[in-house]
Amino acid sequence: METLLKILEELRPDVDFQENKALIDSGELDSFDIVSLVGELSEAFEIEIGAEDIIPENFNSVEAMMALVTKLQED
Amino acid sequence: MAFTSVQFVVFLFLCATVYFLTPKRYRWVTLFIANYIFYFFAGPRYLIYLLATTITIYCGARQLGKMSSKNKADFAAVKLSLDKEEKKAWKANFTKKKRAVLIPTLLFNLGILSVLKYSGFVGSNLNALFARFSLDITMPAPSFLLPLGISFYTFQSLAYLIDVYREKFEPERNLAKFALFISFFPQIVQGPIGRFSDLAEQLYRPNGFSYERVKFGVQLILWGVFKKLVIADRAKVIVDTIFAYPETFGGTYVAVGALVYCVQLYGDFSGGIDIATGAAQVLGIQLEKNFERPYLATSIPDFWRRWHITLGAWFRDYVFYPLSLSKFFMKVGRKGRKLFGNYIGKLLPVLIPQFIVFFLIGIWHGAEWKYIAFGFYNGTLIVLGILFDQPLKKLIEKCQIRTECFSWHLFQVLRTLVLIALGKIITRAPGVGASVYMTQSMVRNWDGDILCNGGLLKLGLDTQDLWVLLLSSLVLLTISLLQESGIHIREALAKQNLLFRWIIYLAAIFSLILFGVYGLNYNASDFIYRGF
Repeated sequence: METLLKILEELRPDVDFQENKALIDSGELDSFDIVSLVGELSEAFEIEIGAEDIIPENFNSVEAMMALVTKLQED
Repeated sequence: MAFTSVQFVVFLFLCATVYFLTPKRYRWVTLFIANYIFYFFAGPRYLIYLLATTITIYCGARQLGKMSSKNKADFAAVKLSLDKEEKKAWKANFTKKKRAVLIPTLLFNLGILSVLKYSGFVGSNLNALFARFSLDITMPAPSFLLPLGISFYTFQSLAYLIDVYREKFEPERNLAKFALFISFFPQIVQGPIGRFSDLAEQLYRPNGFSYERVKFGVQLILWGVFKKLVIADRAKVIVDTIFAYPETFGGTYVAVGALVYCVQLYGDFSGGIDIATGAAQVLGIQLEKNFERPYLATSIPDFWRRWHITLGAWFRDYVFYPLSLSKFFMKVGRKGRKLFGNYIGKLLPVLIPQFIVFFLIGIWHGAEWKYIAFGFYNGTLIVLGILFDQPLKKLIEKCQIRTECFSWHLFQVLRTLVLIALGKIITRAPGVGASVYMTQSMVRNWDGDILCNGGLLKLGLDTQDLWVLLLSSLVLLTISLLQESGIHIREALAKQNLLFRWIIYLAAIFSLILFGVYGLNYNASDFIYRGF
């Protein structure tokens, strides 16, 4: 979780990732942020995130992102 | 059957009446039949294309669904005995098998669209190229009439197929129900492009009659007709005059033409979408939002998030993400970091696919060089916006410009509007050369006097019509500003007293009767996006 938070805070220091649970739905993160984030997550956690994983439910909160990372690590 | 025709009103009334009188279990069948009657009116020979897409996508999706179910069972049986590498290989092998179904189905349907839409353009350009090099080769350059809504229903069905491939949901088993999803009459003409996960269940369930919902639907239809007949078709007269004679109407007229074309296009397209959304609402179906006051956008990316939202979302989900996240572009990003540093390297997998998306959005609008130029123009603006985002922020900070105030917001909106209007010159002018000529003329021969000395009366509208256009556009702007500030107009109106409500309703109806551009010798012009 710490690694994920560090990546997110470097990507968008202006966003409160701990509080915001609708990062995509509220428009806080846009498609450019998502592509950069996916690149960082893929490298940091050695996972492959595909276009099929890019749905709001997977990126709306830090917890959802962590769940996606864990799921892909287990696969 | 145009949305603004009496036939459409009669058709919708009959369809809604029969729908609500049909036993609940068969209501979706009524909708299905209504869709095909509607499509039949557009031209019986076009049904073959709709049927070809419906059947191939249905079969492809069913096949993918069966493969996924079998794979899940097979994988569950051996999962524990496989190590990480073996699991990866299993997944890769299965993806390969699925792609063997997905890709031919995609190509077949994109092929129909491409042949009908682009073969004339490609053929004539190749012939010009061969002639230039004195080659004695002639390619056929056929010109096809496009089947109604082909771009829209093809995109809607491709999204469905890809979602089944991605295992987002199980494919629909009933062919007639699937055909209903692809052909829903209010949206087949010009969108919004629906997603199976949002739309299908609404179409299949038996929607009951609701006075409130029907009332809201009819209000939205009237508002759409107002935008189309009072605003767009009136603005069209000015736009057609200026762009038909660029040599006569240069200078300030070009700016007037570009601005009025912005109004026309928005009134036309969003008006059509309002009629579609209202018609669907009468039947108990909520279509996806396609516009969110685009001319109040503060930047070009913001504009594209507000204009033709469902098309933008389609390209984002099915072109931009798959490209950006592909192994190729991930590699491009890594190499870019080594060559150009971290900042540019990170941006490359975003910028190049973004450019490709705008190129595709450009040619989606039509098989002409001007649409490719339009895509290039927007792609360039977006890419420049991203590249200069950080330096501009620093500059603004250094110059101590206040950004949390109305004046800055207004500046951003006007700046975006100017850039959008310039882009509109590209698509509306007869060709790329003409748009360059007109833009140059606007800058070189600016003459603000034509706005006050009766110069506007040379554009085909008399004083009264100009006032109607101006005032009705102001009504549109006021409504947009109210909506932007969070006010729901129809809900707010419903809370008012009966007398006030009816004054508004009657004013709206009479304004349509009095100011709508129609008459015995006038046919309401076709919706612009119907041609795409």
